[in-house]
Amino acid sequence: MGLITLTIVLPLAGALLLSVSRYGEIGSKIIALATSLLTFAASLALLASFNLADGSLQLVEQMAWIPAIGASISLAVDGVSLALILLTTFLTPLILLASWDTVGDRVKGYLIAFLTLEAAVLGVFAATDLLLFYVFFEFSLVPMYLIIGIWGGAQRRYAAIKFFLYTLAGGLVMLVAILYLYAQAGTFDYETIRQLSLGATEQRWLFAAFVVAFAVKVPLFPVHTWLPDAHTEAPTGGSVFLAGVLLKMGTFGLIRYALPIFPDATVEAAPWLIAISVVGILYGAIVALMQSDIKRLIAYSSVSHMGFVVLGTFALNATATSASVVQMVNHGLSTGALFLLIGFLYERRHTRQIAAFGGLAKQVPVMAGLWLVVALSSLALPGLNGFVGEFPILLGTFQVSPTAAVLAAFGAVLAALYLLWPYQRMFHGPLEGADNQNTTDLKLREIGVMVPLVALIVIIGLYPKPLYDLVNPSIDRVLVEIEDAR
Amino acid sequence: MMLAQLAVPAIEWSSIAPELPPTVAALVLLLIAIARRRMLLVAAPVALIGVGVGVLLIDAGHTTAGAVAAVLGLALPALVVAFPDRPTLVQAWGAALSVAAALVLTVWQYTTYLAVGEGAPLAAQAGFAGAVANDGIALFTRLTVYLAALIIIPLGYGYLNDRRINRAEVESLILLASVGMVALATANDLITMFVALEVLSLALYVLAGLARRDRRSQESSLKYFVMGAVASAILLYGMALTYVAVGTVSLPQIGANIGLVTTPRVVALVALALVTVGIGFKVALAPFHLWVADVYQGAPTSITAFMAAATKAAAFAALFRLYLVAFPSLANVWIPVLATMAAITMLYGAFAALVQSDVKRILAYSSVTHAGYATIGVVANSNAGLSAALWYVLTYAVGTIGAFGCVIAIERRRQGEVTLLDLRGLGRTSPALAAILGLCLLSLAGIPITAGFVGKLMVFQAGIAAGFTWLVIIGVLSSAVAAYFYLRIAGTMFLEQPDLARGFPVVTTGVSLGVSVSAALVLYLGIQPDIFLDLANSAASLVR
Repeated sequence: MGLITLTIVLPLAGALLLSVSRYGEIGSKIIALATSLLTFAASLALLASFNLADGSLQLVEQMAWIPAIGASISLAVDGVSLALILLTTFLTPLILLASWDTVGDRVKGYLIAFLTLEAAVLGVFAATDLLLFYVFFEFSLVPMYLIIGIWGGAQRRYAAIKFFLYTLAGGLVMLVAILYLYAQAGTFDYETIRQLSLGATEQRWLFAAFVVAFAVKVPLFPVHTWLPDAHTEAPTGGSVFLAGVLLKMGTFGLIRYALPIFPDATVEAAPWLIAISVVGILYGAIVALMQSDIKRLIAYSSVSHMGFVVLGTFALNATATSASVVQMVNHGLSTGALFLLIGFLYERRHTRQIAAFGGLAKQVPVMAGLWLVVALSSLALPGLNGFVGEFPILLGTFQVSPTAAVLAAFGAVLAALYLLWPYQRMFHGPLEGADNQNTTDLKLREIGVMVPLVALIVIIGLYPKPLYDLVNPSIDRVLVEIEDAR
Repeated sequence: MMLAQLAVPAIEWSSIAPELPPTVAALVLLLIAIARRRMLLVAAPVALIGVGVGVLLIDAGHTTAGAVAAVLGLALPALVVAFPDRPTLVQAWGAALSVAAALVLTVWQYTTYLAVGEGAPLAAQAGFAGAVANDGIALFTRLTVYLAALIIIPLGYGYLNDRRINRAEVESLILLASVGMVALATANDLITMFVALEVLSLALYVLAGLARRDRRSQESSLKYFVMGAVASAILLYGMALTYVAVGTVSLPQIGANIGLVTTPRVVALVALALVTVGIGFKVALAPFHLWVADVYQGAPTSITAFMAAATKAAAFAALFRLYLVAFPSLANVWIPVLATMAAITMLYGAFAALVQSDVKRILAYSSVTHAGYATIGVVANSNAGLSAALWYVLTYAVGTIGAFGCVIAIERRRQGEVTLLDLRGLGRTSPALAAILGLCLLSLAGIPITAGFVGKLMVFQAGIAAGFTWLVIIGVLSSAVAAYFYLRIAGTMFLEQPDLARGFPVVTTGVSLGVSVSAALVLYLGIQPDIFLDLANSAASLVR
């Protein structure tokens, strides 16, 4: 069994073991955590055997699956997918640890759902067969639906169904496009389909179909409306995974599929997508400013931040497009960390209304400090990871469209406002009310969850070169085809 | 002198071999039912005959067929001795064994007569002077129908007992209906086709009305009967006009003659229109689907499952033969008509199901929608389309039987209709049952790693390859709408609190066996469909 297969199979095996075993709660949690740590180790081994100089798909593994229709289990990674695989396997154990004793009932089901979800997402990033990719892409909806629907907040049913239907509808449109490509190529193999020469009209339609599916997932304005509901209602772990990893499936799909398979259509559509991204950046930021619920606020900030990622992708130059991959990782880390902190606070207070908090910095200094670092990273303060992603995106966009870059920069300014203003209201000012005075600070386990995240936030902020080295060759390979199309 | 001049027609028994055990079993089981306490008096001679036939067959070199006959013959007295006081159990076991024998003979038939080589299309075997065509369509329909029958017999056993409607004739009627369905799928002339259609329909009319004291069951039976009879009449009229137009009842000859200039085109077109209406009723394509919801809701649930899975397979088989063998030269007329009907069916079924709260009605409308998807394969008018549609019907059958099986378990505690309210919190009270129902619903919705996904994949692909991208897009839209009501059921089970006052589902051995087998098939066909897809690909062989 190859290393990539192992990385995907491990969490699945853990889920299977949990579903047939009769361990108690503690035993199940330990098994799940151990599985996710093993998965992380496997993905590190993947990194070790990865050739950084090569931009093409590496470590190819292929097995027969449905030869009758030319579909196979083919897995491979390039720099982009490896970065996202590492992000996924890094976040999962932290999520499991963060929700150690807060899931409430049916812990085992929660763990099974999470491990299955991890496997599906890893499959999305590693698949190099379009059918296999689609299978993982759609299947990931089922565990996430259950996580939101069973362990979520008061409006969880509505949020779960909305999430499922939006992404399913987008995905089905993509299925038609995949089948059309299959009819042309006679196989689902990614590299073969990438070599197809398609007519201009064909490219436009197929590109549109792929973009619809990924835009829902990212989510881009105006198909973002499922996100605030899903984020707000999902349990903490679900929100972290959603923001950290699931949204990346959309932007990853754009870079892996939409750009290289349809280069002409990409060049043609890039100005439009840049415009939509800018609208999303500003819209997300302005709406975030008006939220009274801190979790909903961060959800809208995701819309804004993911707008930056798409903006960078469609700037179509080495600076911005590589930076958008780096920004995917950064957003996963900092927004994930913010959702974790919100979760910790919610467990103590059972409210997320900003107005209910005040002066907490005196009472919970550790939480306040971590919150500030993470918020600063999210608003792209130089020296933290957000900056090394967002600044090159703006720089690269400026070369293509100065207007878009200037407008998007306003989004970064607004980010400072919507992140620091609630911080000020929640953590500073007079410490009033029994609730605020009785809020306890983070426990050791919770600090343990936050430390790796904050460490990475600082390390990437100070020294982002390894991350750029990882993604640059792969992005260059994509951009070569785009250049040919110009 | 006269006798010597009579030519004895050759009878290719092998072409209908799988149908023989269920047919004989239907008659023997009726005799057993009449014999009551003296069951052994019937069983002993049957055993003798069975073993005798078996020995003769083995002697003639047909080892498998002979073994099947002998085993079946011996099984009957064994059953009678084993369950002397439980006649319904003898009936159920007897019927199940005969259907299992039919499946064995189907495989035997496949390996002996149909399989030619790796990847090559199946050989087609014509029998009974061209009246019977034993080819890919027949093979696939046999698999689907017998599999469906084999699963619904244990599913329905306890349920029918609970409702006190497990009468002696139930199993025999199920067997006759199955045989009628397969005969419909193998029929290669209009007369055989019509007779087969009536055999299966008459059996189903009675089965739908099994619960005589239940008004909804009465309504179901009567509605099915009236609608079915009208449809049969229209179909028969269409067949008669076809005969008028071409002067033959054999489907391949109709196909050869109907496009000729000597054929009166108007008559041929009217015939085609009437046949389309008649067969449209049978497979429930909009706008001829109106009976489905009431009939499916009122009939006893195990019978509904059987109708949804098996009848659909058989009716589609007849549809393929009529359009692909008899009317290929009128393709430019029927393709747009069927495509429009498929589009309306997919959309109507999905939207109508949205507003239902009775689970059986939801599944009924879902079956309407699925008929639309399968029709995409017919409209594609290609070998790929035919394979895809055959495969689709099989994947639909396993998913829908599993879903109805879970409904049976819930209905048994309720002793009546099953609404969404009855499913609340099922994920907590009986997680295994809820998981299986959830899996089957995912399959019906076409979510990956289930059989339904691969089914949709194949028909959509055939549709796109044939240039029907617009129809596939409508199919995709309707799938997205349909996903909502499947999710609504799943959501009620997993996301809501149980209502303990409503009690727990009754899961007996039969029910758990039936639903687990369906669930296993849903997963198997969804994850590793290669063997059956290969079979479906090579099944696109027709006796033309």
